[in-house]
Amino acid sequence: MLLDFDRLGWWRWALGGFTAAVAAFLLLPIVFIAALSFGSSQWLIFPPPSWTTRWYSELFADQRWLDAALNSLKIGLVVTVLSVVIGLAASFALVRGRFRGRETLKALFLTPMILPVVVLAVALYAFFLRLGINGTMTGFVIAHLLVALPFSILALTTALEGFDKSIEDAAILCGASPFEAKMRVTLPGISAGLFSAAIFSFLTSWDEVVLAIFMASPTLQTLPVRIWSTLRQDLTPVVASVSTLLVLVTIVLMLLVALIRKGLSKP
Amino acid sequence: MTVPFLKIDGIRKEYGPVVAVEDVNLTIERGELVTFLGPSGSGKSTTLYILAGFEKPTLGDIRLNGQTLLSTPSHQRNIGMVFQRYTLFPHLSVGDNIAFPLKVRRKSKADVTERVREMLKLVRLEGYEDRKPAMMSGGQQQRVALARALAYDPPILLMDEPLSALDKKLRDELQHEIRRIHHETDVTILYVTHDQEEALRLSDRIAVFSKGRIDQVGTGPELYADPATRFVAEFVGDSDFLSCRVTHSQGGRANVVLGGDFAVEGVPLHDERGTPGEGALLLRPERIDLSRSEPTGWRGLPVRVDDVTFLGSNVHVIAQTGWGETVSVRLPFGHEHISGLSRGDEAWLRFDPNEAHVFV
Repeated sequence: MLLDFDRLGWWRWALGGFTAAVAAFLLLPIVFIAALSFGSSQWLIFPPPSWTTRWYSELFADQRWLDAALNSLKIGLVVTVLSVVIGLAASFALVRGRFRGRETLKALFLTPMILPVVVLAVALYAFFLRLGINGTMTGFVIAHLLVALPFSILALTTALEGFDKSIEDAAILCGASPFEAKMRVTLPGISAGLFSAAIFSFLTSWDEVVLAIFMASPTLQTLPVRIWSTLRQDLTPVVASVSTLLVLVTIVLMLLVALIRKGLSKP
Repeated sequence: MTVPFLKIDGIRKEYGPVVAVEDVNLTIERGELVTFLGPSGSGKSTTLYILAGFEKPTLGDIRLNGQTLLSTPSHQRNIGMVFQRYTLFPHLSVGDNIAFPLKVRRKSKADVTERVREMLKLVRLEGYEDRKPAMMSGGQQQRVALARALAYDPPILLMDEPLSALDKKLRDELQHEIRRIHHETDVTILYVTHDQEEALRLSDRIAVFSKGRIDQVGTGPELYADPATRFVAEFVGDSDFLSCRVTHSQGGRANVVLGGDFAVEGVPLHDERGTPGEGALLLRPERIDLSRSEPTGWRGLPVRVDDVTFLGSNVHVIAQTGWGETVSVRLPFGHEHISGLSRGDEAWLRFDPNEAHVFV
């Protein structure tokens, strides 16, 4: 092979170094945040003069943080369920349907991915004002559903395209009604795609800040909004500890996706 | 008159302006194994999918024991099917795959267990119950698919090129298995294939499909000895075609002239409404005799030998007529005129006009 790694000589070291530099660039900020969240300095000094878990205690003692986390969780879970259900229905139509404008429709479903979120946020804000659902759970869920759906549809159309329809047909000839065949054969067959869709939908909502700032009210805030508003008022290491926990949740979920994919691809 | 077991009656299927199946008629007896043989796009698979209920015919009817099947949705037709692609349910074990149609039918747990065991025995996969499909070879997966399709005792089993993804050796082995299972279960099988050898090996009768129609239905020997159309002659068995001119025809026989001056008289004639007067003479390579010297007592067709290939029990000779058409001849090993025959030699061919066919 032209680019055989073993034959690159000293280039190997250069490549290795470059890779390490990129990884450091991506990961170090996260490591710093985690370190700072355990640092004793009020002013986020690095390296920390000494170590403490004080910021975590403060965090868990503050009802406002807990409320924000709970709101994020609730919105995230509702968005996940709706995103997977709607995404599944849309994906069946996009993959199995034979109608004019199918490709166009698919592109349309994915536009929230490329549309600047702030544009979407302003538009939704104006629209929701009229509907009177600004600052409500419903408003949050609809806004987040819009940005989560493309991920769900992408994961599910890919999964469905990879699932041979003959398998579903075989189930139908075995005596299962078309609905039963989908529930008992097709959905278990694309379970990896369903998990991906669910986790990405959840993470999209859980991390989302722009739409959330527009949707939020003093009584209804999500975790990212709370972090944002806290940062604007005072720079407390509590923010670092929240961030660390957020990163932890994300890592756990991503690991879960990887494990499930691996587990399902194995017989 | 008794009601036929399965009757395919005037089926036509259009996809927009394209006619995929045109006026297909076929009566199938209980317990028969009938293959639909034809190239891709000949309408054989479409006909099978209409039987399965995945496609609706534009015209025509399908009747099982006199009752139309068309108003019954696929999942209530109680038909078994093995597909071209591997269709085992990937998340279920082999045993659960076979149990699936039984569980859907709400059979008791004891019945299901018993039947799964029986089916695994039928396809000779005892002990594989707990395997996942992905851990099995293609041949084994198709065996399980067969067991699953037969588990609920369907009156009809459809098979859509189930062996086309397998290599030759496995294919031979499974063809043998399918015949055995057909004998053991007495299920009526409709089998789609594009492989003439497979069709000849498996079937009681073969329906040859071409351009959406059935050209001919018959046993393998019938199709081979008396092909109704040029297409059937080409598709079933090896064939030589020589262009000819028809000089006279009467009572299903014709006199023809090959290459300007070689006359053949009394050849069975098949009218396909081609150009009048111009036809094609069909010869079977193994029914042609070859002589090294100008024969006496009969008039041979003079040819020049182009190639001689030794194939074990027989020898394959490619020869060219004086006007440039190619004829292949298959002679048994040890034939008196073979030894020393080589490229460039002169030879004379002989055949029985009764065994030839003219297609006009």
